[in-house]
Amino acid sequence: MAARVSLGRTALIAGSVGAACCAATLIDAAAAPRAALDSWLAAYAFWLGVCLGCLGWLMTFHAGKARWIVVSRRLLEGLAATVPPLAVLFVPIALGLRHIFPWATAAAPSGEEASLLAFRNAYLRVPFFLSRAVAYFALWTLLGHLLLRWSVLQDDRGGPAPTAWQRRLSGFGLVALAITGTFAAFDWMMSLEPDWISTTFGFYFLSGAMMGGLALFVLLLALADRRGLLGDPLRPSHWHNLGKLLFATLCFWAYIAFTQYLLIWIADKPVEVRWYVTRTGGGWGGVAIALVVLHFAFPFFVLLSRDFKRRRGPLAATGIWLLLVHYLDVYWIVMPATYRAGPAPRWTDLLAAVGIGGLVLAYAAWRLDGHSFVPAGDPYLDESLAYERS
Amino acid sequence: MRRWIVAEFAAPETSLEAARRLRASGLTGLDLHSPFPIEGSDEALGLRPSPIPGAVLCGGLIGAGFGYWLQWFCNAHDFPINVGGRPLQSAPAFVPIVFELGVLFGSAAAFFGMFVAARLPRLHHPVFEADGFRSASVDRFWLSASLGPGDDPEHVRARLADLGALRVEIVPEENP
Repeated sequence: MAARVSLGRTALIAGSVGAACCAATLIDAAAAPRAALDSWLAAYAFWLGVCLGCLGWLMTFHAGKARWIVVSRRLLEGLAATVPPLAVLFVPIALGLRHIFPWATAAAPSGEEASLLAFRNAYLRVPFFLSRAVAYFALWTLLGHLLLRWSVLQDDRGGPAPTAWQRRLSGFGLVALAITGTFAAFDWMMSLEPDWISTTFGFYFLSGAMMGGLALFVLLLALADRRGLLGDPLRPSHWHNLGKLLFATLCFWAYIAFTQYLLIWIADKPVEVRWYVTRTGGGWGGVAIALVVLHFAFPFFVLLSRDFKRRRGPLAATGIWLLLVHYLDVYWIVMPATYRAGPAPRWTDLLAAVGIGGLVLAYAAWRLDGHSFVPAGDPYLDESLAYERS
Repeated sequence: MRRWIVAEFAAPETSLEAARRLRASGLTGLDLHSPFPIEGSDEALGLRPSPIPGAVLCGGLIGAGFGYWLQWFCNAHDFPINVGGRPLQSAPAFVPIVFELGVLFGSAAAFFGMFVAARLPRLHHPVFEADGFRSASVDRFWLSASLGPGDDPEHVRARLADLGALRVEIVPEENP
């Protein structure tokens, strides 16, 4: 029987800091609703993406029958099960719809415009919008909860049955996550500028989210490994695999982001290109270039090195770096809808990011508290512990 | 005349251990011949890191640079055509070709770099003449080393036998 991990203190500290920062942001929202809620939405989209990314990776590993990951999987399960606090933290957005989304207050169009925009007006209607949100949260919560629950069940019971359930659920879950994640991105970020439509947008957001989720996982795994929570330290081959996956998602994000940009840029249609005109001109132009260099080019060349990927410290540093640039990416998606001239950093940006992150991580720590930190009952645990590849 | 010594082993572990010992005793030109890749053989043989990744990086960068230059030369420099007022040098539109040529040159560098690193197209090596060497592609693990003028073949033969070799052969270089 593996040692049970005690994360109560971590949960308490992260939770108190998170709650305090969230409260401060929400108090400010009473005075300056638009500005504070924009900060909130950017931070929310960042953390939601990161958690969905963890859920996506967890299901990918199950569906792909990955064995090397098993020893480190419990942390990923904890992070993937953090949708419930995110559902609660969605409430300020739901209450402040009319401050954030222009379609929530627009007068109903009439005449020819009404027939042209019939579908959009039906889709972006407040009750339908909110019921979709409830459905997304229900599905994500169920997926994350079941995967963690079965894994914990296996700790005590052993046997291969929970592994089979996890694999079966994950195949279906990945498809469901891709579809709901796409629509959530449409609802909560693309509809900030309801005239603008890009079918790639959902994938664009999710590709960054997969990278961010993996970056958070790698960072926390490195911390847990240093504290000795995993028993024996992970082998260079484990880190190497995680580094390779970071590299792959980094390239995938760049590929999707560039595809969306190129298609819109080359067609040059006024309705489509406006989104990029705002985001590559004025004060946002520098941010766009920073994204190309810091989100893609620099980490790309750093992660090319094999020795770099096989070591814990450098990979943890890469995790921090990629989380920061992923926040910049989300910020660059969300904020120009309000601040068209250029970035206007506000103290609530930081508070909301720390606040929501604190609560999410506290919830993950609370869920993992008192359980073994490695899936002790998994039939592939020994194989994972001995994993070695050059 | 150059000579090689080849030894047959029944298991990958014993062949790796023998390679380590022989290397420690100063023999050079060690190589392993096995039906499948053996984990840890690079370390046991003391191989230097492969030059292929560096070659691929260079190839990729050269290809990408060439791709950009080619499009700039054709579209903006040598034969500029104004298409609907679009800029002649349109970097975003050049990117797909830059990427493709980077991949093409990178994989070509990997392919031909592999040829050079593996000393292809050399098709034959004297050690292949050793009796029973054919089992290296079936179920046995062979270790080969080149013998210098100062090495005593009988001494090395005895050491290999001690290390668990099933049989040991000395192969001379063929006369052309």
